[in-house]
Amino acid sequence: MVNPYLTMQGITKRFPGVTALQDVSFQAYPGEAMALIGANGAGKSTLMNVLGGVIRADSGEIQIDGARVEIDSPLSATANGIAFVHQEMAMLPTMTVAENLHISQFPTRGGLINTSETDRRSAEVLRRMGCQFTPDTRVQFLSTGDRQMVEIARALLTHPRIVIFDEPTSSLTSREKARLFEVIRSLKTEGVTIIYITHFLDEVFQICERATVLRGGETVGSGMLKDLTPNAIVQMMIGDIGIEVHRKRETAATAEPILGVSSLSRKGALRDVSFTLHKGEVLGLWGLLGSGRTEVARAVIGLDPIDSGQVEVRTDGAGMRPIKPGQAQRWIGMITEDRRSEGLLLSMSVKNNMSLANLRGLANRWLLVRGDEETRQAQEFVDRLNIIISSLRQPVGTLSGGNQQKVVVGRWLQVSPPIIIMDEPTRGLDVGAKAEIRNIILELAEAGKGVLVISSELEEMMALCHRYLVMNRGQIVRELPGTASRNELMAAAAGVDFMEDR
Amino acid sequence: MLPVRSSSESSWARTRQFLLSHGFEIVLVLVVLFYTVSAPRFLTATNIIGLLHAAAPLMAIAAGLTLVVMMGKLDISVGSTAFLTTSVGTLLMVRQGVDPLLTLLIVLALGALIGALNGFIVVVLRINPLITTLGTMIGLRGIGLELTKSTNISLPEDVRRLGNATIGPIFVDILIALAIMAIIHLIHRRTAFGRQIMAIGNDADTAARLGVRVPRVTFLAFVLCGLLAAIGGVLTVVQVGAVSGSIGSGLEFTAVSVIVIGGISLFGGEGSILPGALRGVLMLEIIRNGLNHLGADPYAYRFVNGAIIFIAMYADSLRAQVPVETHAFESEEVSAQPRTQSP
Amino acid sequence: MSARSIPADAPGASWLRSAFTRNRLLELLPFILLTIVLILLALFVPNFFNSRNIINIFVQASTLGLMAIGMTAVMISGGIDLSIPSVMALSAIVGAMNLRDGGSVLGSSLLMLLVGSLAGCINGFAVAYLKMIPFVVTLAMMTIATGTSIWITNSVSVPVVSEELFSLVLDRTLGIPRPIIIMAAMALIATLLIRRSVFGRWLYAVGINVKAARVSRIPATRVVFGAYVVSGFFAGLTAIILSARLGAASANMGNDGVVLDIVSSAVVGGVSIYGGVGGPLGAVLGAIFITVISNSMNMMQVSFFTSLMIKGVVIIAFVFFDSLKKR
Repeated sequence: MVNPYLTMQGITKRFPGVTALQDVSFQAYPGEAMALIGANGAGKSTLMNVLGGVIRADSGEIQIDGARVEIDSPLSATANGIAFVHQEMAMLPTMTVAENLHISQFPTRGGLINTSETDRRSAEVLRRMGCQFTPDTRVQFLSTGDRQMVEIARALLTHPRIVIFDEPTSSLTSREKARLFEVIRSLKTEGVTIIYITHFLDEVFQICERATVLRGGETVGSGMLKDLTPNAIVQMMIGDIGIEVHRKRETAATAEPILGVSSLSRKGALRDVSFTLHKGEVLGLWGLLGSGRTEVARAVIGLDPIDSGQVEVRTDGAGMRPIKPGQAQRWIGMITEDRRSEGLLLSMSVKNNMSLANLRGLANRWLLVRGDEETRQAQEFVDRLNIIISSLRQPVGTLSGGNQQKVVVGRWLQVSPPIIIMDEPTRGLDVGAKAEIRNIILELAEAGKGVLVISSELEEMMALCHRYLVMNRGQIVRELPGTASRNELMAAAAGVDFMEDR
Repeated sequence: MLPVRSSSESSWARTRQFLLSHGFEIVLVLVVLFYTVSAPRFLTATNIIGLLHAAAPLMAIAAGLTLVVMMGKLDISVGSTAFLTTSVGTLLMVRQGVDPLLTLLIVLALGALIGALNGFIVVVLRINPLITTLGTMIGLRGIGLELTKSTNISLPEDVRRLGNATIGPIFVDILIALAIMAIIHLIHRRTAFGRQIMAIGNDADTAARLGVRVPRVTFLAFVLCGLLAAIGGVLTVVQVGAVSGSIGSGLEFTAVSVIVIGGISLFGGEGSILPGALRGVLMLEIIRNGLNHLGADPYAYRFVNGAIIFIAMYADSLRAQVPVETHAFESEEVSAQPRTQSP
Repeated sequence: MSARSIPADAPGASWLRSAFTRNRLLELLPFILLTIVLILLALFVPNFFNSRNIINIFVQASTLGLMAIGMTAVMISGGIDLSIPSVMALSAIVGAMNLRDGGSVLGSSLLMLLVGSLAGCINGFAVAYLKMIPFVVTLAMMTIATGTSIWITNSVSVPVVSEELFSLVLDRTLGIPRPIIIMAAMALIATLLIRRSVFGRWLYAVGINVKAARVSRIPATRVVFGAYVVSGFFAGLTAIILSARLGAASANMGNDGVVLDIVSSAVVGGVSIYGGVGGPLGAVLGAIFITVISNSMNMMQVSFFTSLMIKGVVIIAFVFFDSLKKR
């Protein structure tokens, strides 16, 4: 039995109102890759941020190679041989690979950068990873995959003994993925300890020896992968809560199409996305973070450009009609995932935020906004959505998250478009507010609107959707009926064919 | 599946790429050819040396401003800095009889100090650099005008002579200006400070995440810019032989034009001192000089200047639109093709 | 992932609330300062509150105020327009030449408005549709407009002699010179439009958060374009008044110092350089404040140059307060 190189024991971390990690234990072994698996919010990132010195745990201890260590900053993590390959790349596009690798610690000679040494070190680490590009290549000319290699090279520059990969393949092609796995294998033969965070179970079985599963901030299972099946892991990620809440009403969905999307493609983001949304239907776009869910929504509504594809909507009685990207917003309302930066004008009043999409409708013939009508409508939807405010003039930035979200919803109810897209409509809200927003969504569908919902929360999707489109790497990979089970959904998103254990 | 690009399309794309990346050289050659043909005395050694002589002060100032612009920031107080520092210097020599060499040191120190003031306001008080330097631009000019009472003050005779000092046929200030550009170029290309300026210009947050001490680098760049503005002022005043209220007036706008023409992106992170900033200075000066030789209406110069900025800027925004990024989820067929490497 | 699920909204709300009251205080700051300055002036400058001097200040401030209104539209959208004074000078020159060559007063005035608006269209097109940086676009426009002005006039000022124009623009109504009335009327109309019209509301939305504005189906590109046209229009309007007041039009009307006064007026009047904050009324008050400083310095025998210095300090101080609001 090999001794673990890294041991984290009893790690607990509380944030105001949330316990992110509860007494978590974690081991990783030299020359092996340990997969760290869990659903969104399971605590994977928090745990690794503790190890990387980004945040400090409230309690617990970390041992490396049998000795207890204190990691209180990213610097001390580096000093302890820990390197972190972040999911979010830190690239300086107009600069060369060598400069990107060395920007904070250039080797110098006589006050000037020692370029030959910089290039030598860079070339060495690139060669070790089997990269084809040279250190003097500008990063802006590299593909995403090659940039990922630069990100990894930066981590390897310090000759770490532990390397943490956070979702390294989410933006890679399969060819690039294969190269990444080569690098990981060669690191393993050098005795480096690998921690591999991912959503993709197929990758876990390809590259890792062991896996640890987190759920709700706790360790729920750990072991050799050869003793585990994908289904068993999915079970661990989800837990035993078998009761499936179906709040959906059978009658709501009709067969009348209201939005048709065909062959929507954008290089690097979407590939051949086609689907139909019906009147009175809540259609769920389900997939992992970065699977292209949000990109579909933004492309449909014309916020992002597309390379090819077409969007059709049912215009009043005239049947389905193709529309130009710029027109989509006439029929489609959109609630974006980040309400603070893409939804609300935080310094503006509740009233003005709610009328924002409807100003033309509120204008008199002199193109002046009718103040009384604006107030009346705002008040109407404040009452209908039960938004708690002190006055309609209150700046929206001072409201709680739930009330802010209701303001955004109210904005679109004022306009009442036939189609509404909601991206993470309940993110960051408390339980009560979540339920209220969900009720609104169901009511919209009952009123005959077509609703496209994107959410990372399985519970939410299952409570809302009549049908699911499962996305993976910019494509719709599968369509599931509203009756699909939790396990089916989870497995489909993770890229595994799920078969019920019977 | 993505549509396969036809070869004619890609050859046009390549032509376009070539035009955009070498547009400057093409235009410069055409301009020089045009002048040479239509004004016989344009392409003579005397005229070229005279042209460089006239351009020398701008070279120094543009070099400093380029550093700030490459950070994605702006300093429009350079003209006033040049004016105030040289006013103080001239007064020290004329009224107090201070030694010229000591005066030079004081002038340079004052320039650096003004740069430090700008840097302090931008970094510590976190005020938009444009407004900061707009404020110092007005304020410093006010102080300078107050000190000189807005009159012309001649330099002492022995200092004035330096303005036309030559080594062989070449004016000394040309050599000084070129040396300064070379040094700043070296700082930009070969020191950690210079590279970190570019990193901040790419994205200040990313740079900070990668361990660059953003406030310190920003501050130092402003100091350097102030110092070089003072040097530019000294070169101007020595050439003119006197300090007057018009020294450095409008210079900030000329310097920004130079930078835009030189292909240095105002968004930061892109561009070079050599050849970038230098060619911007030369382009502006060549056009001015040539128009002069053609006997064009001197009042048309500013119009031509403005038009050039517009064109240079438009070309810049076109260049920025040429997509070089490749993204996630590209289809395997596409990624299997050979990838563009940097030239 | 896990970090995202932590509710980011709950704390900070109380902080925001206190910031809003602090903001209100900061917004009142210009008025407080103006009051202090006025009291000081009353104490130390005997002739300051002489009615002639007051009227004189307001007349001087009127042209600055009108240009500041145009600048306000652009700054609310999140941009800046350095070309206002030079475009103003160019419009004045073109109009004055038309008048000199026998054009009618009405025609010449319309021509000035047209030239200004046209320059605004070019600026707006470059910024909104070509996505060029406002600072450089308007810098280039400034150079071009000044260049054209100098070119077509050979740097000689064009006399404006038209009793009809003078009486139209400079006469008094109810004892108040027309420029003041025009400025006040424009400030009120602009305030009404920017607060109440669809365009005005869109303008603020774009300035506060262009992404959110686009999602809320606001035609952001057209709105930004419009802001620059408004700014050009006000440059043209100013040209009419100023050329009548000076009895001449010249390139020097729009020297670099004027653009700084305009930015100062807007900033002192509470218009944020970061967009989305402030209004025309504030900018006009800012213009009056700036004019009061220049005028009073003048009366206190402080040199013009020292007043430049003080203006520089005032701008930085106000932007500092402005940035405090943002934190």
